[in-house]
Amino acid sequence: MVSAATVAPAAPQSLSLPPPQFARLQPHAYLLAHLSPPVASNQPSARANGRAPSQFRVTSANSGSLTHTNGSGMVRLGDTTAVCGVRAELLHTEDIPSWSVSQSSNANKRRRLADSIKLSGQSGDHEETEAEVEEDRAHIEDLNLLVPNLSLSTGCAPGFLPGAPPAALTQALSHKILSLLHSTRLVRAEDLRVWYQPPNLGPEELERHNDEEHMDVDADEAESKPAEIKAFWVLYIDIMIISLAGNPFDAAWMSVLTALRDTKLPKAWWDVDNETILCSDSIAESRKLSLRGLPIPSSFGVFEADAAAGWRAVVIPDGEKLKAEEKKGTVQKWILADPDGYEEGLSQERACIIVDKEQNGKTVIVSMEKHGGWTVDTEDLRQLVDISARRWDEMKQIMDQC
Amino acid sequence: MSNQRQASSASQTPHLSPAELSYLYTSLSLPRAPIRPDGRSPTQFRPLSAESNILPGTNGSARIGFADGTQAIVGVKAEVERTNLATDTLASQSDVNDSEEHQGSAAVSGHGSWVQMSIEIPGFRDDDALPVFLSEMMRESLVGSVTEGSGKADAADAAEMAGGLKGRLVINKRWHWRLYIDVLLLSQPLSYPLPLLSLTTHLALLSTKLPKLKSQGEEDPFFDDDWAVAEYLYPRISSQKTKLPSQYVRPPVTLLVISVGENVIFDPNREEIAVADAVLAISLTRDSEAGSLKLLSIRTIDPPSRLTQPAVPNSENVNMLGAPAPTEDIAVLNPVTGEEEVPGVWRPRRGGIKRSVIANMVQTVLKKGGVGEDVLEGLEGVEVE
Amino acid sequence: MNDRRRVNGPPGGTRPPVYASLLETGTGAGDRSQRQRQPAELRKICMHDDNLSAPAYQTNLWHFRTSVLKTGLIPSASGSSYLEFEPSASLTAARANPKSLIPPSSALKLACTVHGPKPLPRSAAFSPNLVLTTHVKYAPFAARKRKGHVRDSSERDLGVHLETALRGAIIAERWPKSGLDITITILEAEDDRWWGDAPDSHDASWGMMNVLAGCISAASAAIADAHIDCLDLVAGGVAALVSNDSTNSSSSAPRLMLDADPAEHRSIVSACVVAYMPARDEITELWLKGDSSKASLAAGDQRTGHEALIDGAVDAARGAYTVLAEAVRESLQRAFDQS
Repeated sequence: MVSAATVAPAAPQSLSLPPPQFARLQPHAYLLAHLSPPVASNQPSARANGRAPSQFRVTSANSGSLTHTNGSGMVRLGDTTAVCGVRAELLHTEDIPSWSVSQSSNANKRRRLADSIKLSGQSGDHEETEAEVEEDRAHIEDLNLLVPNLSLSTGCAPGFLPGAPPAALTQALSHKILSLLHSTRLVRAEDLRVWYQPPNLGPEELERHNDEEHMDVDADEAESKPAEIKAFWVLYIDIMIISLAGNPFDAAWMSVLTALRDTKLPKAWWDVDNETILCSDSIAESRKLSLRGLPIPSSFGVFEADAAAGWRAVVIPDGEKLKAEEKKGTVQKWILADPDGYEEGLSQERACIIVDKEQNGKTVIVSMEKHGGWTVDTEDLRQLVDISARRWDEMKQIMDQC
Repeated sequence: MSNQRQASSASQTPHLSPAELSYLYTSLSLPRAPIRPDGRSPTQFRPLSAESNILPGTNGSARIGFADGTQAIVGVKAEVERTNLATDTLASQSDVNDSEEHQGSAAVSGHGSWVQMSIEIPGFRDDDALPVFLSEMMRESLVGSVTEGSGKADAADAAEMAGGLKGRLVINKRWHWRLYIDVLLLSQPLSYPLPLLSLTTHLALLSTKLPKLKSQGEEDPFFDDDWAVAEYLYPRISSQKTKLPSQYVRPPVTLLVISVGENVIFDPNREEIAVADAVLAISLTRDSEAGSLKLLSIRTIDPPSRLTQPAVPNSENVNMLGAPAPTEDIAVLNPVTGEEEVPGVWRPRRGGIKRSVIANMVQTVLKKGGVGEDVLEGLEGVEVE
Repeated sequence: MNDRRRVNGPPGGTRPPVYASLLETGTGAGDRSQRQRQPAELRKICMHDDNLSAPAYQTNLWHFRTSVLKTGLIPSASGSSYLEFEPSASLTAARANPKSLIPPSSALKLACTVHGPKPLPRSAAFSPNLVLTTHVKYAPFAARKRKGHVRDSSERDLGVHLETALRGAIIAERWPKSGLDITITILEAEDDRWWGDAPDSHDASWGMMNVLAGCISAASAAIADAHIDCLDLVAGGVAALVSNDSTNSSSSAPRLMLDADPAEHRSIVSACVVAYMPARDEITELWLKGDSSKASLAAGDQRTGHEALIDGAVDAARGAYTVLAEAVRESLQRAFDQS
């Protein structure tokens, strides 16, 4: 819209429509005209919104402004705005139908290990065994400890009726966020557990305490009395898309990240007298979640010069032939980063790449998906990964500031 | 669907022509002497028949029928429930002495959610706006009517009602009554059903009895199974002590009042409400101390006249082009609405209500010897046995 | 019943955390925040100065530093507005120096969108007027108690109140056969009482009345932003009769406060919301509840309690109107700049 004036030479002279109307009537031609300006005009190829094809919208994030949440975040991706609030509630193990004490044994061992490492002053970063990973997965996934729900029925766009049941897009986004939370193992199960160490001095043991013969044995036994998990924190992660102008997933996921990084869980303990879990409201005693990594998504839309590509009969093209055509320049396409609502309507093929960086700066691809077409090949994907890696640096900076 | 959407807060828009609406409005707004379609005086209610205690399976019930055939039935059921307030249960275990003042307030004054109300109106789903709005409106005045805990020790009955209906539901610190009020309208509403439902609920609550408590203090409650000794939810003052019948603690009543022109009209029927400038629902009860009436709540109701179709004055009518302009077709300023209108040509209402109009409507209800007292006395006259 | 279209939590349900300090009577609960304003002084609809300290500025969701009744933040809607109240002094202090996880009070934050006027669906009956649909929903994290995803009766009730308030202001016959959808999302609601009070000492939903007043002002700004013809901007205002004395409520009669924050008072006796159009001096929506008969007014004041309450609410609405007018002026300016 900003660069509407630049399109004037590209538009046919006979058609005297003002740019906004032209954009509405002939969206495909409008965007194409922007992306492939006539050589004579000497203008760079830019999108209708003035961005370069690989440029993301201005992104801002802030956290902690919602009072009644354990953690909150708001992310604005251009005109798309997502607000996320995290509320923590307790799931008592006595409320879990299939819970048995033995289930906490593995985690218990590991806890002791971690404690001993801490005591001996080593770094707490011990290698996780497969069994532990499996147990963490079981706790978080089977007990539904992470509950993300996204809502689009906030009046954010005309298509979503408020009050109606969640639309297909809403459900898809919620589940995508849920599966990403699970697959990245972002939240540590250990952070969500509330432990209880039964006291060593039970009444029986007190009685026997005088008995010198058994004393040593008893002491050993008492020490080995296992700690048990009394409850789990359940994180209700609610995302409200306040304003929708394309690319809701990136905004939603980053708002979840911001909120989770802001989340503080109160110190909780099992209170024997009241037979319930009590929490401390002191901020000094609360602790933040320690997240695994910082997976940052980058979504792309593919815009094809051939307007009919979207509804032409699908013929899986021969790879060689396609390459040849591309060399000739017949297949022309642009991969647009962070598409806005207008561009999303014009692109069939989508790609979403989620990357993270290790401490040594090595880029890790967390997830990569591409659907809706065949024009993006491996070489393109490689480039997209590079773009996503640059995006990661940019987002890391933004998130660290808020 | 969209019909119901439009009729969300007021009843359905009647299908009256602009000419009919204009005629109605003119006759209802005649200064000081409005002419109502059914010949009632402005403050007169429609004739109704009422009976209470009609459902043996309930704690209290009532039925009211209007002459036009609309009927409402209300049943009140009471159940004993554990008072489960998160901090309460814990505090009572940890330190009973200290908690007296701290958590005592909850245990004495009760909780608004202990009164549950559901309204069923044929043709509406229970989550439609009209039933929700009506039940919130009636529940609000019911649980809100807190009599300022008259500390007089001699008035034992009055003390029992300290904290209003909510307080009455408290059995002891750990137990309370939960009241289910189910309101059933038996036919499609012909007019805005609020007065009918409110009067019926009032009667049903008056006839509601709770079994007599046999346990004492903080022990788990158990009750006398003799229904004859059961106590009224709203206790009666025994006849020898009674000085005035007005000393009863009474459930609140919600009245529907409309203003048309300068007139204030009660219990409007469907046609009358369609031309109202303003519609108010006013809840009131008797102040147990002063004996006068006490205002509990006011809510505006969206007047359906805003949704009606406008008429076209002759001067703007294409069919009348060329005809000599009639002399009476001159716009004048309506003093009440402050808009230019052509007399006899219907315009849907716009804008809101002047504060003076609201004050006048409330005054008519509350003043001594006013409509509010009439209604309450009339309801007290209904034999509750 | 299981809602299969959403991600559900543990089937057995979860419990909100119970804070140990609440069990120790009174001591751990801290002090009730006190009202710092004069009885007739309104809370600001968030005027943030540039020289505010960072924590105070952080409470502001969008990080705006000027008045926070903003319009046009949601471009896909024909009109939109965002409203945020200035946080109370206690909340600002708690933000600056965080000690407890329990927030002392909360500040209203809500977003409003207007879609339309658009043609009614084919199945709809003919309407000579603009058909207004209002929808108010709390975010699940908006209040101290988690809200559900489906609207409950109080949210529906708010929607009806809002509809009544707006319908009186819109000139509906200019759009026959059209619909207008107004959606309000409440991101942070007002408290019904001070959190340290026993959970049910007065459980009437007083906070809801403040929310409604905010909804009315925000919706009015959004409607103006959508260029829908109105008789006047309609502003929401709240006044309440409050008694701060805990020992004996009958000795000290309740006093009139404009724009009362329920978290700052021991008990609210009665409260009133109006939707008010200053240009016509008319009320399109009135909601009054509670016992207003015992108000202590200035000597010589002949008004009854409820009249004083309504007048107070109207004064509060006049205050909100000035902010509203400023926001609409901004919205118009933007429209001119764009064209």
